[in-house]
Amino acid sequence: MKPHRRNRLALILFISFGLSVTVGLTLFALSQNINMFFTPTQVAQGEVQPGQAFRIGGMVKEGSLVKNELDLAVRFTTTDFVSDVPIAYNEASGILPDLFREGQGIVAEGSVDAFGIFQATKVLAKHDENYMSPEVKAAMDAAKLLNADESDLVNEELTK
Amino acid sequence: MWVWFAKLGSPKWFYEISGRWLPWMSGAMVLSIGFATVWALLFLPPDYQQGYTSRILVVHVAVAGTSLAFFPLMAVAGAITLVWKMKLADMVAKNAAPIGAWFSFLTLATGSLWGSVTWGTWWEWSDSRLVSMLFQFFLMIGVISLRSALDDNDQSARACALLAILGCINVVVIKYSVEWWNTLHQPASAVTIGGGDVNGPEFWVVTLLMILGVYLFMGISLILSTRNEILEREKNAVWVQEIANDS
Repeated sequence: MKPHRRNRLALILFISFGLSVTVGLTLFALSQNINMFFTPTQVAQGEVQPGQAFRIGGMVKEGSLVKNELDLAVRFTTTDFVSDVPIAYNEASGILPDLFREGQGIVAEGSVDAFGIFQATKVLAKHDENYMSPEVKAAMDAAKLLNADESDLVNEELTK
Repeated sequence: MWVWFAKLGSPKWFYEISGRWLPWMSGAMVLSIGFATVWALLFLPPDYQQGYTSRILVVHVAVAGTSLAFFPLMAVAGAITLVWKMKLADMVAKNAAPIGAWFSFLTLATGSLWGSVTWGTWWEWSDSRLVSMLFQFFLMIGVISLRSALDDNDQSARACALLAILGCINVVVIKYSVEWWNTLHQPASAVTIGGGDVNGPEFWVVTLLMILGVYLFMGISLILSTRNEILEREKNAVWVQEIANDS
């Protein structure tokens, strides 16, 4: 390779490297702001100021969903399986997404009120990257149930 | 090796060889996109959560994956232009930008449609995957505008090559945004080979076929527009005059 070409290639690589480092450091410094939501644990640890508007992301806890058919108020608890945060929402300000259900990941926008309840103004549903046909899902659930039964039996044996 | 490299840089050689590739590529594209479309619309099983909405993933994943290929392509072509001043590389880089802009737009559009049904929102400014993809769209527009803003072809080629390198860094950000930060967008799916598992062959085979078809479409579009560019830039060359006289 001719010297002037080698120099130019070196310059391009140097510029690419410099740009990558700059962008990388900027994004790293901003990562707290780039994150879309706080987890219930972060909220429990007091990382959010009282009254501050923010987004919270977690699972809808099984058995926590209560809907009031009269005033469309919805109450549920969001969890990351370490901490829980209760959420209040009113469907009068927008119908919940079809995917919203217990055990589903959600992101809610709002703030925590004086009683420690997250007053949501918007609730979005997350979905994961695992696609399954209903048949596969049913088969997997059945297998899981079977395993659970077996381990229950083993436990019973052990307790005897 | 250098002979081959120099040959590749010859517009005439590229025009001739690509003319031989085009019929094969077009045939393969029609077959794969046609087959994948019919399969996705009629036979793809519904997702247990999203129902038939998940069928849009076949198109969205294919278009999004392809859109990420443009900036690396433009950066490599740009680097070749900067170092070796290869005319053909600059023609490819120039014609990739508008196609890349369309692919980025289609990614945003199909993702928006999908999100409106599953997430309950068309757009979230706070999601880094969405915003970095929008940034790619704007960067593509930027490359196109930069190209037409400078009259001198060598100068605009150099400026666009540098912008393409910046776009490459953004591609890395798009790719890993869903892992580095928490987002509404789901991470990439890991496929499974056997049946009866998550992301089984019933989902990914058709998606892979669509990806292949869309990549072929990208290649064909790029080759066609580059051939146009070759004829335009080499219009005074003898071999182009001969083609013009033959037709």
